[in-house]
Amino acid sequence: MRRKRNEQLDGLRARCTELENHYIDELVAGDLSRRDFLRRGSIIGMSVPFMGAVLGATDPASALAAPRARTAAAKPKSGGTMRIAIQAPSAAVNPLTVADAGGLCMLNQTGEFLVFDNNLKLALQPMLALSWKASHNATVWTFKLRTGVKFSNGKPMTADDVVYTFQQLSNPANASNALSVFKGILSPSGVRKVNSHTVAFHLEAPNGNFPYLVSSDNYNAIIVPKGTNFKTWQHSFVGTGAFKMTSYTQGVGATFTRNPHYWGSMPYLKGTSFKFFQSQAPQVLALEGSAVDVIGQITPFGATQLLHNPAYSVIRLKSSNHRELSMRTDQAPFTDARVRQAVAWTLNRHQMVEALLAGYGLVANDYPFAPSFPSTVPMTQRTRNIAKAKQLLAAAGHSKGISATLQTETYEEISQLAQVIKQNAAAAGINITLNIQNQTAYYGTTFGSSPWLDGTLSLVDYGSRGVPNVFLNAPLVSNGAWNAARFADPTYDHLARQYFATSDLKSQRKIATKIETLLLQQTPIIYPYWIDGLTVSTKRVHGLNPTSIAQLYLNTAYFS
Amino acid sequence: MGAFILKRLGLALITLWILSMLVFFAGQILPGDPGRSVLGNLATPQAVHNLDHQLGADRPLISQYWHWITNFPGTSYQYQAPIGPILVPALGRSVKLGLFAFVIVVPLSIIGGVIAALNVGKPVDRVISVVGLSGTTVPEFVSGIVLILLFGIALGWLPIEATPPPGTSFLGSLRYLILPVIPLVLVLFGYIMRMARAGTVEALESDYARTATLKGLPRGVMIRRHVLRNSLLPTITVIATQTGYLIGGLVVVETLFQYEGIGSLVVMAATHKDFPMLEAGVLTIGVVYMLVTLIADISYSLLNPRIRLAAAE
Repeated sequence: MRRKRNEQLDGLRARCTELENHYIDELVAGDLSRRDFLRRGSIIGMSVPFMGAVLGATDPASALAAPRARTAAAKPKSGGTMRIAIQAPSAAVNPLTVADAGGLCMLNQTGEFLVFDNNLKLALQPMLALSWKASHNATVWTFKLRTGVKFSNGKPMTADDVVYTFQQLSNPANASNALSVFKGILSPSGVRKVNSHTVAFHLEAPNGNFPYLVSSDNYNAIIVPKGTNFKTWQHSFVGTGAFKMTSYTQGVGATFTRNPHYWGSMPYLKGTSFKFFQSQAPQVLALEGSAVDVIGQITPFGATQLLHNPAYSVIRLKSSNHRELSMRTDQAPFTDARVRQAVAWTLNRHQMVEALLAGYGLVANDYPFAPSFPSTVPMTQRTRNIAKAKQLLAAAGHSKGISATLQTETYEEISQLAQVIKQNAAAAGINITLNIQNQTAYYGTTFGSSPWLDGTLSLVDYGSRGVPNVFLNAPLVSNGAWNAARFADPTYDHLARQYFATSDLKSQRKIATKIETLLLQQTPIIYPYWIDGLTVSTKRVHGLNPTSIAQLYLNTAYFS
Repeated sequence: MGAFILKRLGLALITLWILSMLVFFAGQILPGDPGRSVLGNLATPQAVHNLDHQLGADRPLISQYWHWITNFPGTSYQYQAPIGPILVPALGRSVKLGLFAFVIVVPLSIIGGVIAALNVGKPVDRVISVVGLSGTTVPEFVSGIVLILLFGIALGWLPIEATPPPGTSFLGSLRYLILPVIPLVLVLFGYIMRMARAGTVEALESDYARTATLKGLPRGVMIRRHVLRNSLLPTITVIATQTGYLIGGLVVVETLFQYEGIGSLVVMAATHKDFPMLEAGVLTIGVVYMLVTLIADISYSLLNPRIRLAAAE
C-alpha cells in the first residue's frame, strides 16, 4: 500500500518544478501541515486539484483536505438589490491613487485582480490569472491569463491590458500608491508580454511571495484596459468583474448592476447599492434601522451591541491589520534598547484586546509576524510586568522614570489605545504626553514634516497583508520610507533581504526566528495586537466574500 | 431702494474677495499635504511628490491662488473632478434641509415668543420658555440619536437616513427630512423664541403701545399694528444669522443622517487640504449668508421706514 502511494507520489513529482518538489518534501517530512501546504502551494501556483492529489498520495485520509466552499445556509435565490454601508471614499476612485477602505471597496466592485487572496480560506486563488510559475530563483514569475474574459465595455482582456496596468502601477513617474509595494521589486520594463495570454514579471530582486503583490492584497492592482486614463476611471468603473457601475456620486453612494460580459456565472443579485458614511456610528444605526443590509467593514470599538446581537450575522476574518508604536532609536532615552523593552513590558495587551477590540483580535508580540502567516514562529508572549519594566529602566540609568511625547492620529480606536498606553506606562514611571491630531496633519509629508515619522513616540495604523513583507520592509530596514523608529541595524537589513528572497517555508521560518529574536531584543516598534476583519449583515444575507482589507465581493451574495 | 441694494451688492463682492484670500492663506497654516492626504500614509514620498505636482499643489502660493481665481471653481484635489457638479447638488440638498427647518421653526418660534410675551410670568410663559431653552441646550448629536433610536428603530415610523432613494418625489423626499429637521428645530426654537418674546415684552411696555391702548384700540389690532412691527426687528436679524448656520453649518446632522450637504463637504475639504473645494464651498456659504442678510435688511426696512430713509440719503 505504502509502496503504491510512493509510486503515485513519484508520478506526481515528475510533473513538478524544483520548488514544488521542495514543498512536497517538506510535507512528507512533516515540516508543513496540510493546511500550510495548500496555502504555500497556492502561492507558487500549484493547482488545488493537483495539491489534493499530492495530499491523497501522502495520506489517503486527507485526500479530501482541499478547502471547500462553506455550505450555504439556504438555497441561493436570484434577484434583489443589496444595500451596503461603507466608509465614504475619502478621495477620487482612481485605481492608481486609492488608499482608503471606501475607495478600495469601490475598486473591487467592478475590478478584478490576477490573483485573489482568499482570507476566509487563507489561500491564493486564481482570478484573472489561471496559473503562475516562478523561475528557479524566484526572479521571473510567469502568469497564464484566463481566456474569454471581457471588460464591462465589451472589449476582450489580453496580456496587453495586464502589461499596461502593471507598467502604470510600477512607474515611478506616476502618483501610484502601488509603488510602496513595487519599489525595488518591479519596474515598468520588467513587465513583459509573452503571448496574448501570458505575462512575465522580471523582478529586480528575487521574491518568493510575488503572487501576493499582484493579488487583491495589493488593492490598487485591478486590471484595467490598455490606455485607460486613471483620472477619469471613476466615470466608467470599467473592469472585468461581475458588476458594472450605473451611478457614482461623491460622498453619497454608488449603484451597480450585473455586467452582461462577465466571464463567470452571473451574480444572484440584480444589483447593489452602496451608501457612503463618514463615520461608523451612523452605519450601525442604519443597519439597525433596516436602511442597509450589510456593513462592509466594522471595527469592534463602538459596535459591540451589533456583534453580540443574534439578529445579525458576523463574518470574522483573521487578519494582520495592526498598530505600530515606534520609538525613536536615535533619540534619548530611547537610544537604549532596555528603555524600549521597558515600555513594551508595561502594556497589558490582553486587556487592550478585550477593552478596545471587544475580544475581536489577538495579542501580538513585538515583531510583525502575525499568527495568520505560515512563516510565523511563536515566541514567548510579552505580558505586563511592571517590576521588570522598572528594573530595565533602572539598569539603563532611569530609575526616576522618563518622559516623552506620543504623537498619534484620530482613527478607529487609536486615540483610545494611546490613552491606555499612557496609563499602562505610567505605572513604571514612564510619563507620556499625548499629541493627537487628525490623519492629514499626523501623516504630514515626509521626514522632517510628519509627526508620524518624526515623533519620539508615534502610533500609527497598518492595514492587513497576506505576507509580512511590507511590515518587515519600509518601517524597519535602514532608511526605510516609513521608518518612524529610525531603526538602523545591518544584521536586521541582511535578514530581511534574505527573508524576501526565500521561497521555501522551512528557510523562511528559520530566518523568521532570527528576525523575531532580534526585534524582541531591540524592540524598535511595539505591536500591541492584531485586529480581526469584521463584516456584519442581517440574517437574510448570504454568500458575502469579504477580505480583511475592506474589499467585498458580491458575485456570490444573495438574499434568503 | 435700488441704490441701497446696489451698494450692498458691491460691498458683498469685496467681502467675498477678502474672504477668499483669508481662506486661502489662512488655510495654508493647516497641517498636512494634499498628495499625502489622497495617497495615504503608506505611499512613497516620490508618489506623493508626483501627485502634488499633478495637482499643482507644489507651486508658489500666489500662483496657486491666481490659478484658482482664473479657473473658478476649478477641480477638486481630493476627488480629481470638477467642483461644480459636486458642489451644486450638495448646496441643493443643504438648501432643501435648511429651508424645511426654516419654514417650521420660524413661525413656530415667533408665535411661541409672542404668546409667552403676552402671558409674561404666567404658567404658559414658563412652559414655553423652559421647554424652548431646554431644547437649545441639547446638542444635535444627542437629540438626533435619541430620535433615530425612538422613531427610526424602536417604532420604525420614519426613515433614519435623510437621502431618499433615487426617483422619490419632492413631497416623498420631505418624509426623509423629518427626523433630521427636529434637532434643528429644537436648537433654534428656544433662541428665536427668546428674541421674539423679549422684543414683544419691550414693545408692550413702550409708550406707543400704552398710547395705542389708551386711545382705545382693540388689543388684537394694537398688537398687530404697533407691537409686532417693532418687536420682530431684532428677531429678523437673529433669524438671518441663523440661516447661514442652517445652510452651511449642519455638519453634525448631515453626518448623523447620512446627508451629503455643503457643510460636510467643506469640513472634508479642510481636513484633506483640498483648497479649490474649500474655497468654493466657503464662498458659496458666504454668498448664501450675504443674500440672506440682504433680504433681512430689506425686510427690516420694509418694517421700519426709518432705516429705509437713512439708506436712501
